[in-house]
Amino acid sequence: MNKKWWLVSPPVFLLISFCVIPLFIMVYYSFLSDGTTGHLTLQNYLNFFQKGFYLKLTWKTISTSLLVTIICILIGFPMAYIMAKVINSGKNIILIAIIIPFWTSQLVRAYSWQNLLRDGGILEIILRKLHIIGPEPLGILFTQTAVIIALIHIFFPYMVITIYMSLEKMDTSLIEASKSLNAGPFTTFWRIILPLSKPGIISGSILVFVPSLGVFVEPRILGGTEGSVIGTVIEDQFFEIYGWNFGAAVAFILLMIVFISTTVLSKFAKEEV
Amino acid sequence: MKKKSLGLALLFILLVVSAIGCSSSSTTTDKDGKKELIVVNWKDYGSDDPEVIKEFEEKYKVKVTHQYMASEEELLTKLRTGGVGKIDVILPNASILPIAIEENLIEEIDSTKLSNYKNIFEQFKNLPENSKNNKIYAVPWVWGSTGIAYNSEDIKEEVNSVNILWDEKYKGKIAFRDDFNDAVMTAALALGQNPNSPTNLNEIKSKLIDQKQLNRTYWKTGDEFSKLFAGKQISVGLMWSGQAAAMKKNGEPITYVIPKEGAIGWVDNWAIVKDSKNQDLALKFIDFMLSSKFQENWVNSGGPNPVNTEVTKNLDPEFVQQMGINEETIAKLHFISYHSDAEKKTWNEMWQEVKAK
Repeated sequence: MNKKWWLVSPPVFLLISFCVIPLFIMVYYSFLSDGTTGHLTLQNYLNFFQKGFYLKLTWKTISTSLLVTIICILIGFPMAYIMAKVINSGKNIILIAIIIPFWTSQLVRAYSWQNLLRDGGILEIILRKLHIIGPEPLGILFTQTAVIIALIHIFFPYMVITIYMSLEKMDTSLIEASKSLNAGPFTTFWRIILPLSKPGIISGSILVFVPSLGVFVEPRILGGTEGSVIGTVIEDQFFEIYGWNFGAAVAFILLMIVFISTTVLSKFAKEEV
Repeated sequence: MKKKSLGLALLFILLVVSAIGCSSSSTTTDKDGKKELIVVNWKDYGSDDPEVIKEFEEKYKVKVTHQYMASEEELLTKLRTGGVGKIDVILPNASILPIAIEENLIEEIDSTKLSNYKNIFEQFKNLPENSKNNKIYAVPWVWGSTGIAYNSEDIKEEVNSVNILWDEKYKGKIAFRDDFNDAVMTAALALGQNPNSPTNLNEIKSKLIDQKQLNRTYWKTGDEFSKLFAGKQISVGLMWSGQAAAMKKNGEPITYVIPKEGAIGWVDNWAIVKDSKNQDLALKFIDFMLSSKFQENWVNSGGPNPVNTEVTKNLDPEFVQQMGINEETIAKLHFISYHSDAEKKTWNEMWQEVKAK
C-alpha cells in the first residue's frame, strides 16, 4: 500500500463524522418511540404506512420528480447536442449562462418565480401583450405547475452539463460513418447518438430526480395550498414539533426510495452499451 | 494499515470532543471587574437594543450580555445542559414553562420586589403556566394576538367574525396560516370549541378541509403575508397583531380585528434561572423591562403590545383600540396554553392530512 495513505484521512474523517455517523444516528432515532424514556419500536414506520395520506404524498412526490426529470431530458438533450456537435464558438458563453443561476440562492429564485408567475405579474403582462391569453388572470402561481416550472429551472443545468460531457467525448466521426453507410438522421440518432450518450442521460437523471424528491422550499412558496410533499412533511416534523423520531423515519423512507431508484437507473446504464 | 487509519480517525474524534468539553467556563465578572448579567432572548427583541440597555447598565454598573435562542425548545435544552448557574435571565413562554418549573430549572420570583408588577394587566398575572402552588415563576412582559386582518379597500362590510375565512364571497382572496397550532385553534373558535383543548378533532379537520379550497395560498412567515398583501394577491387572512400594526404604519390599507368569537393570544415572560448568582440584579433587570418608559418606547417603535397598564394612557387611542389593549379584549383572547408532545403530534398530523387532501 502507498505510504501516502494519511493524505486521504482528513476527507475520510470528515465523511465518517459528518455523514456516516449522523446517518446512523438518524436511523437510530427512526426506531425510537416518543417520550423521555424512548424504547426501540417500529411504530414510526407503521404509522407512515397506515395513514393513507402519507402514501399519497409519497406518490405525488415521486411522480412530480419523474415529470421534472423527463422534461429536463427533453429540454436538456437538444441543448447539449447543439453545444457539443453543432456550434463551434460560444460554447463557454452558453455554459456560463447555464451556471449563473447557481450563484443565486434557491430561496431568492423561488421568490423571483413568484413575481414572474403571479396574477398581474410579468409573465401575465407579456402574454397578454402578445395576445396569447385574454383578460382572465394567469392562475399559475400557487399550483403544482408553478412548482414544476421552478424545479425544472433549478435542476436542468445538471442534465445539460452531464449530457454535454458524454456527447463531447463521443467521436464525431461515428456520426459521419453512420451517414456514409446510408443511415437516416433518425437511425443515426437511435442507434449511435442515443446509446453513446446514455451514461450522461442516466447520471443527469439521477442528479435531477434525487434532489427533486427532497425539495420543500419551492413547493411551500409556489405550491400554495397544494404545496405539500414529503419534504414539507419532514420539515414540519423537525421544525414545528421536534418530532425527530417520526421525521427521521420519513427521511429514511425517502432515502430508501433514493437508493432503489439510483440502483435501478445505474443497472439500466450498464445494459448493452 | 486499515486498523491504523481507523485508530487515527478515532483519535481525531477524541481530540475534537475533548476540545468541545474544555470550552471556557463563564465568569460573572468581566475584565473591568463589572458584574455581568447573562440574558437569553430572541435576537432584536427589545432587550438587546444597545441604546436602551445602556441606561440600565450605567445605573447598576453592570454589563448585560445577550445570548440568542432560535426556539423555545432550544432554550429548554440550554437550561438542561449546563445553563443553570451560568445564565441569569430567560424569556420562556407557555410551551416550556410548566416543564422548566417541574424540572426545577427556574427560581421562584418575589413579585413584591418588582415595583412595576402591580401595573400589569390582571389577566396576564393569572396565566396558569406562570405559577405553581401559588408561587410565581414567570413575569409577563409583552403579548400579542392572532386575529383577522383585511384590506379595507377591498372589503367594505364590517368584519367581526372569524367566519370570514370560510366566506365563499372571498374565495381565492383568503390567506390562512400554514401552522398546525393556529389552524386547530382558529377552526375551534369558528366551531365554538375550546381552542386550547378542542373536544372534536374530526369536526375541526373537516372544517379546515372546507376552508382549504377558499384560499389563495397558505402563508408561513410574516414576510410572505406582507408580500401577498402588498401585491394585492389576497384581501383577508389570519394575521398577527404586531405585524398588522407595522404594515399599517407603512401605509398599507390594513385593518386588524379581534373577532367576536375570540382570538389566539400569546405572552412572553421573563424568568430567573435556578442558582443565578445575580438574583437581585436579575429582578432589577425584569423591573426595568416592565417600566412604563421601556414599554412605551418599544411599542412606539414597532414592538409588541405592552403588559403595563400605565403605558396605555400615553398611546394613540386608535392604536390601543385596534390592538385590543384593554381588559375586555384581553378577556376574549385564548392564550396558547401548554400542550404535551403527544398532543402537538396529533394536531400536526391532522394538519398534514388537511394539507395533503
